Amino acid sequence: MSRTLVPAGAVVGAGRGDLVERTHASRTRRRRQALVGWLFAAPFVLSFCLFMLFPLGASLAMSFTDITGRDIQTPFAVNFVGLQQYSHLLGNPQFRKSVGVTAYFVVVGIPLTMVVALALAVALNSGINRFRTAFRVGFYTPVVTSIVAVSVVWRFILQDNGLLNGILGWVGIDGPNWLNSTTWAMPAMILMAVWRNMGTLMVIFLAGLQTIPEEVKEAAVIDGASRWKVFRLITLPLLRPTLLLGAVLLSVGYLQFFEEPYVMTKGGPLDSTLSITYFTYQQFGFGNYGTASAASYLLFLAIALLSLLQFRALRSKD
Amino acid sequence: MFPTRSKSLAAVLLVAAVALTGCGRSNVSDTPEAAATIGSGPAKGTLTIWAQAEEAAALPTFTKEFEKLNPDVHIKVTPIPWDAAYSKYQTAIAGGTTPDIAHMGTTWMSDFATAFAPTPKSIDTSEFFPSAVKSTQVHGGTFGVPWYVDTRVIYYRKDLAAKAGYTTFPTSWTDFKAMAKAMQTKAGATWGVNLPPGSPSSFGSILPFMWSDGADLMNADQTKWTLDAPEWVDAMKKYQSFFTEKIASRTPDTSPGAPDAAFVNGSIPMILGGPSYLGTLVTAGGPSIKDKVGVGRIPMDKSSTSFVGGGDLVVFKKSHNQDAAWKFIQWMLKPDTQIKWQQTLGDLPASQAAWKDPVLANDPVLSVFGQQLTDTKAPPAIPTWNQVSSAGDQALEQIVKSGADPAEVLKKLQATADSIGTGS
Repeated sequence: MSRTLVPAGAVVGAGRGDLVERTHASRTRRRRQALVGWLFAAPFVLSFCLFMLFPLGASLAMSFTDITGRDIQTPFAVNFVGLQQYSHLLGNPQFRKSVGVTAYFVVVGIPLTMVVALALAVALNSGINRFRTAFRVGFYTPVVTSIVAVSVVWRFILQDNGLLNGILGWVGIDGPNWLNSTTWAMPAMILMAVWRNMGTLMVIFLAGLQTIPEEVKEAAVIDGASRWKVFRLITLPLLRPTLLLGAVLLSVGYLQFFEEPYVMTKGGPLDSTLSITYFTYQQFGFGNYGTASAASYLLFLAIALLSLLQFRALRSKD
Repeated sequence: MFPTRSKSLAAVLLVAAVALTGCGRSNVSDTPEAAATIGSGPAKGTLTIWAQAEEAAALPTFTKEFEKLNPDVHIKVTPIPWDAAYSKYQTAIAGGTTPDIAHMGTTWMSDFATAFAPTPKSIDTSEFFPSAVKSTQVHGGTFGVPWYVDTRVIYYRKDLAAKAGYTTFPTSWTDFKAMAKAMQTKAGATWGVNLPPGSPSSFGSILPFMWSDGADLMNADQTKWTLDAPEWVDAMKKYQSFFTEKIASRTPDTSPGAPDAAFVNGSIPMILGGPSYLGTLVTAGGPSIKDKVGVGRIPMDKSSTSFVGGGDLVVFKKSHNQDAAWKFIQWMLKPDTQIKWQQTLGDLPASQAAWKDPVLANDPVLSVFGQQLTDTKAPPAIPTWNQVSSAGDQALEQIVKSGADPAEVLKKLQATADSIGTGS
């Protein structure tokens, strides 16, 4: 039986009439409290529904129709085509190429970023003692830079006669024309993404490392474990929740990478850097709203699936 | 019986299904509305004009003059940047907040035509350039008028051409190629000519070369793409030869300002450009560059056909002052206003009568533009052109950068264009 609060000031009598009166009063009071609560929440709920739920629902509906940019004035005068947009997309070779490119970026980029960030976090946690703050700030700075500005600068560095090839030339390597080569454009972008995002993960992993109790590690050392064994068998398992957080954050961001190809290669030499979001952006530009909505919902499914996989793989085995 | 949650879910799905079956395109095609007639007497009331970039900056002088001639009218000009303009018009049409007059790019006419008012029959555009007039004829009706035209010619360094042994611009394709090569060997240029290699919008830029070789984008009644015709294969092979013979670079620097700098310092002394490019070159190389710049028509194969674009002036259906709007447009189309517009801004007049004026006919650079404008074509004003053009960019990239066989690439492009369709 649920407990009801006795309202202050109510007569605590023993009669049955009093009991009914008390519960009735408390129900009205609860209803009023609920109403006040909803009134406070109303502005946010309204703007959320208008600017988030409505567009989400509208684009989901659009993905089942053949709406184009020219139907904006009469959005309901469109044909319902069921799953045709989705099946056309899955048969579109350019879309399939963009899926491959995005998968390449994610499969190589996420582990690389996590490894680099973890190495930096471990180094900052135990290895580097002096100027620790300076290093932390230095490694984190790329995260707060404007992606567009960074992409423009990197485009100059990656030119055929740019800075990177100049440095490679000092050690005798003839660097390729990075952004104009179908094989080297993606590695260049992955490198740039790693450089840019290692700071966020480094900070998260640093916090995670500091939650691992020292006694456990000391106990392992006393038992004769080497530092590498301590790291692999104690630190990493205890770090699982943090690793999961990092992986999910990265996958949501990396599956939607857009600014780098947009600023640096415009989809790259022969579509080799065409990501799913860039493909969706192009389709919106052509006015194929139905196709573009379908593509963005497919991407949403991919992100949800990947996050689910990561949750299963990295959940803490308590 | 069923838990409340799945009951409400079922209810939502049912409502959604019913709503979706209510959608559907009407099979009745929209009949074009009858055009209004312009009243006599001066213009009255207020007018709002939306224009892009430089045109918006130059309009107020002209609107003030119109206001002096028609004291009861008040005109307001709102400038919009080019890259935001397309979506701004889209949202204005969707939200019903359109202005009275708008400056519309010729390639956007078919996308927004459903929101325009038909052109009154009393506005006579018969003496305008035919391709410019064609841009206003969409969806079976005539909407708006041509305002200014834009075309492409070849800018070249006169001094380097002289060093290479050419005192006049070549008129044939083979001579053009020979001159480019000679500029590399005798005048110290790194590359002979700066040609689009397949970057975005390059397919549209190379259409002049294709058209000059007799290759057409569509058949005569615009129902089918004709991108794998033998003329296309021939034209593409000739275009590809520039890259295989190392006369043009496969990876030119296309960042802003880089082609102009290359022209000024002589490393790439030829490039395609429009009427305003001379101003860009002067900004890049100082006023002294003007004497070294020459322009020539697209070299002739079967013809010397260039691209025509430009801007149209349109009146929106929902405008409350269509009478004054059309009167203003009529005034802007008069030949002397067109010449004054050209002198102020550099845009080429759409009225052929304006070109007979000595100011334009005797200018060495502008006269070449005037001659080129007599033979121009425009890309089809259909909704799927942008998408097909983007597929064309990719095809061009394969032909130029990976040296693929033009016949095969064009066959695939034709298949892609057929699947995209003509949007009708």
